Amino acid sequence: MAEVEETLKRIQSQKGVQGIIIVNAEGIPIKTTLDNSSTVQYAGLIHQSVMKARSTVRDIDPQNDLTFLRIRSKKNEIMIAPDKDYFLIVIQNPSD
Amino acid sequence: TEMAPTVTRSQPNRAYLGCSGTGASCPGCASHKSPSTAKSETYISLSQVLDENGKDVTPRPVYQPDPAAVQSKHSKIFASDTSGGTMSDFYSTTYQTTTNASFAGAFTRSLFGSGSVSIGSQSIMESMSEEIEDPSSKRDNSISLSDVQVKREEVKELIQEEMLDDMVDLYLVESDTLCLLDMPAISVSVDSMEAESVKERNSRYTELCKNRTGNDKYMGRSMQTFNGASKTKEVQSEAITMADAATIANNWDMYDSFCSAGQGEVDLSTDTDKAMSSSSSRMEMEPFVVPSESKPDPELILQSEEFQQHLFVMERIILENIYQPKLAAYRQLPTLEGMVLLKCWNHVTEQLSKQKRLRREESSLDEEGPPTPALERLWSFSCELTTGRNVSSMAWNKRNPDLLAVGYGQFAFKDQKPGLVCCWSLKNPSWPERIFTCQSGVTALDFSASSASMLAVGMHDGTIATYNVQSREKTPVIDSSDCVHKHTSPVWQVRWINHERALSGEDKGEALISVSADGRISKWFLRKGLDCIDLMKLKRTRNDRFKRQVGEKERKSEALISRQAPGLCFDFHPTDSNIYLAGTEEGHIHKCSCSYNEQFLETYQAHKGPLYRITWSPFCSDVFLSCSSDWTIQLWRQDLFTPVLGFMSTQRAVYDVMWSPKWATVFGAVNEGRMEIWDLGASILDPTIVNPASPGVKLTSLLFATETDCVLVGDSDGQVSVYQLKNFTAGEGTQDVSILQPPMRLVKSMSADRRRLGLFWFYIENKNV
Repeated sequence: MAEVEETLKRIQSQKGVQGIIIVNAEGIPIKTTLDNSSTVQYAGLIHQSVMKARSTVRDIDPQNDLTFLRIRSKKNEIMIAPDKDYFLIVIQNPSD
Repeated sequence: TEMAPTVTRSQPNRAYLGCSGTGASCPGCASHKSPSTAKSETYISLSQVLDENGKDVTPRPVYQPDPAAVQSKHSKIFASDTSGGTMSDFYSTTYQTTTNASFAGAFTRSLFGSGSVSIGSQSIMESMSEEIEDPSSKRDNSISLSDVQVKREEVKELIQEEMLDDMVDLYLVESDTLCLLDMPAISVSVDSMEAESVKERNSRYTELCKNRTGNDKYMGRSMQTFNGASKTKEVQSEAITMADAATIANNWDMYDSFCSAGQGEVDLSTDTDKAMSSSSSRMEMEPFVVPSESKPDPELILQSEEFQQHLFVMERIILENIYQPKLAAYRQLPTLEGMVLLKCWNHVTEQLSKQKRLRREESSLDEEGPPTPALERLWSFSCELTTGRNVSSMAWNKRNPDLLAVGYGQFAFKDQKPGLVCCWSLKNPSWPERIFTCQSGVTALDFSASSASMLAVGMHDGTIATYNVQSREKTPVIDSSDCVHKHTSPVWQVRWINHERALSGEDKGEALISVSADGRISKWFLRKGLDCIDLMKLKRTRNDRFKRQVGEKERKSEALISRQAPGLCFDFHPTDSNIYLAGTEEGHIHKCSCSYNEQFLETYQAHKGPLYRITWSPFCSDVFLSCSSDWTIQLWRQDLFTPVLGFMSTQRAVYDVMWSPKWATVFGAVNEGRMEIWDLGASILDPTIVNPASPGVKLTSLLFATETDCVLVGDSDGQVSVYQLKNFTAGEGTQDVSILQPPMRLVKSMSADRRRLGLFWFYIENKNV
């Protein structure tokens, strides 16, 4: 448990990381380092995105599954590690 | 006589009355018979019924019982046995006995007329007799039928018993035409005989209608019908709520359902239609329950293994984002230099094309003059754990060239603190993958080649430990602290050596060799715990030869504290694993063999101070380098007892020297203040590249990367910096060993003419006065 906390702290302190959100399977944020409104917004929108992405991957081959999703935009990059029970979302701006 | 009781069973009286009243007007009226007459007469006498035209439409009875009992018997057969007999049978039987064909006809007619389905059921006859209010002919017939039935059943039995084997003659005769429906025509042809009478009748009727209107005979009368009082009735039901239920059946949804229902995996790649149809059939048979997903506790999520794994991957990805250009440079991938990766694509392509143009210009410039080789600092491995510690040794993993082990420990005796070994991965320069704390400062490290996850660590207090870096355990696999023959002084170097040739009963394979300041070179193996045997004891040697050269007065022979000279470094010959070189604190290099552990094969004396490093050249098997704290690096040849070349650039102790694994004439050296890359093909007097250290920090160790042209430098602040050699064009044929020969020939030629070099040598010699 301590290791998890340490790792989260290290990630948070890396260059350019704007926020970390951990969302459960229904889209409700469990843990976040952003403010509430942004968190809720991110959680809701990303949930849908990941569902769609996962559906796409599995439709092509049902034995396949989504392991990681990166959305790179002009201003930052959103990295999502999806799992059966949760999503781990990190927003980073590497050019900071 | 038998008929009498059955007649009374029905309700004949009413019917009779009704019938008698309207006997004349209803043509279809059946005959009535009087009960009394029935008794005596054998067959029913009917009164004549005439219709309007005078035709005799007397309905004939269906059945006229014959006096003979046989007849009734036969008839009974028919009535009771519906299942067995067919119509043809019936006909045949009746014909046997009866002469009256009309019987059959009449009987059948009644059958049809009554509309009964099964003749043999008495109950139907009875019910029919109750329900039918119409002419009693039917009833009579039914009565007769029922009567007949009783008799026939008896007869049937008799026949079954007696007459089974008899030959029965069957006569097939054409029966009478049966008239099933007779609807008299309501229109008559003009030509027919009746036309006149019909016309006359019609005209009479029209006249009657005409006369009706004003006639007193006819009176119109109105009737009132009751209109039932209407009542509105309302019914209210609950609102039928409609709920939309929708589901998505994706390819993967069905696949998931399969797997979770324990149906086993269906090869969906072949024919999904087949699978779907079979699944639907299966689902009909077994109630299919969608597995309900339980909501896991948030705490559980955070502690689960997968979450840690995801965090691990995420961290690496974030770091990759940050370090991507550097890592790409390390891997010698083309980098987009000076590029912010988040600019839009057009800009990217613009830049790329611009860079290509620049490079082309650069390469055209190359023809004019080579660009100066330079070092570019890529990144450094450090974290808060390592700051303030002195990097004492570094080693690459033999199997995974991206894994680096770094040992942290102080060299000097006074400021000793617990040592640290960190295993760094290239993918995460900000936090080590494994951290091992040791009880004393780490001074030597080496990865095993045969079992790639074994890391041997030598420490300042003489302990040797091996760690398994694959596991997450913090404790060493094995430790030498219990060994009787363990080293009593700092272990300055450890190495895993693969002995190809077995020597006198020793095991072939890999062995751990260590050299320590207590003057022993030991070989360690696992026997009941870690144990060692001494390969060599480094005895002190007097440097008589040297004294003679300088011509000093003899030194006083001092009382020696120990007869052994502390060993500081060693290196095994790259091809012959029997021969090795050992360097001592006295400045002597001893060439030894594993087969002789009493004597040195050779001794090379040139250094004035402790030797910190000896390395054989990976390309030229006769040549080795040595560096020491007397500010020099010496290049030796195996067969010459004086160094071929000596290099000195600053007046600082050289801590580490290493041949480049890629270029035969290049080696790197690290002294306290700076890091130098020497290229013997370019210059033998000055280093080609010099990189000064940050102020206040001493550089302590050097390591070349095996697959790329990068150099790692460890310093006393706990940082391991990675530098890339740029524009280094040292020798196109880098593997060509002969490249090394020209400098030596040059030296030999120059030694004849000692103008420049002579001064150099003289300087060295005079220094030590």
